[in-house]
Amino acid sequence: MAMEFLYMLIVGLIIGAIFGFILQSGRFCMNSAFRDIILLKEFKLAKAVAVSLAVLAVGFAIFAFSGIVDLAPKAFKPWSAIVGGLVFGFGMVFAGGCASGTTYRVGEGMMGSFVAAIGLTVGALMTAGGVLSDLSIMLKSITVGTQLTLFGEFNAAITPIFMLIFGIVGLVLMFFFWAFPAIKKKIDAKEPFIKFDNFVESTFKKGYPWWVTGILIGLILTAGFVASNGVIGITGGWMNISGWLTAGEFSVTGGLAWSGFIIFGILIGAMVSAIVAKEFKFRIPKDGLTVLKQFFGGLLMGFGAVTAMGCNITNILGGIPQLSLHSIITGACIMFGSWIAAYLLFMWRKD
Amino acid sequence: MVDINETLDCTGEVCPYPDVRSKRKVKKMKSGEVLKVLVDYPLSAERIPETMESLGHEVISSEKTGTSAWEILIKIK
Repeated sequence: MAMEFLYMLIVGLIIGAIFGFILQSGRFCMNSAFRDIILLKEFKLAKAVAVSLAVLAVGFAIFAFSGIVDLAPKAFKPWSAIVGGLVFGFGMVFAGGCASGTTYRVGEGMMGSFVAAIGLTVGALMTAGGVLSDLSIMLKSITVGTQLTLFGEFNAAITPIFMLIFGIVGLVLMFFFWAFPAIKKKIDAKEPFIKFDNFVESTFKKGYPWWVTGILIGLILTAGFVASNGVIGITGGWMNISGWLTAGEFSVTGGLAWSGFIIFGILIGAMVSAIVAKEFKFRIPKDGLTVLKQFFGGLLMGFGAVTAMGCNITNILGGIPQLSLHSIITGACIMFGSWIAAYLLFMWRKD
Repeated sequence: MVDINETLDCTGEVCPYPDVRSKRKVKKMKSGEVLKVLVDYPLSAERIPETMESLGHEVISSEKTGTSAWEILIKIK
């Protein structure tokens, strides 16, 4: 599908910028979310991911019903999902951020994350067309079914119904188990549920609570799906920018495209959010080894993302709401991969 | 003013390093001692006080001292 260049430029930048603003304000990073389930026993970001998945399932289903978007769950390639997911998850702990987390941190002025983003791009290019491409193609060679979802083969009329049920049941359960106890506590303590007097302060100056982040991420990525009739990806965007930089062609073919503008948008949005909250500063890890680790982690993520046919945003936030079996397995493997790396890096040595 | 026994400088580090390092540091300190943690990473600045409280330590203060700079004072339980 060819899009008008001006449309990609304007809409891509706007959607990317809002996404980047929310990522920074919500500190939305799946690396932190998954890793800290075992490392710090901290579940807030994991809950934000869960909320966004349910909102996205409902959002995608509604627009699929109205015929505005075409759902396209990925084909189930077991080896690509398992190996790509594990390597991606393992790499993101070293990189200090998932694909989206790394990108928004570049906008915050974190130079270590910029190095990780370069690693991600190099790793992805090496896997898409370089020395690692044979391995990646081999892993992708086995396909089970055509577009297998959690509830059988994809069917444009039936799958959205399952998505709607998945999303609504998820939202109800999360409200009941996670939100309700907190609300009850507030009512018992006679605290106002939402403080409107500091709305500006809490919207622009402070980190968002997990449920706000989850809902907003769900809404903006639904908007992104509607605007481009496809899920948003991060790795492809960095590859697009690198292609544009090396070829120097500012045109639709071979030049900067939708995915690249999304990245520029995220960088701008995260930077604005960080500046407004007085959190923008150029920071570089004091230890050179950390920077090297982040580059290495980025390389692994690049390999993982291309092999699994998508980074954490494409697979987890784009594919799981469509109930794609490939994306569900990839997502689970990204989580396991991050646990293995967290164990090796931080928990193995008991000191 | 509180007497600060030890200072942990985590500036320039992204998560989970500030979180993990401060957790390890408090384990080695004695009861009643005060640790000062310096961070310039927003997520850790929000989380370290929460983690410390859940571990039972007292968070004396958590202040934003400048652009993306925080100072957290923790009294070991």
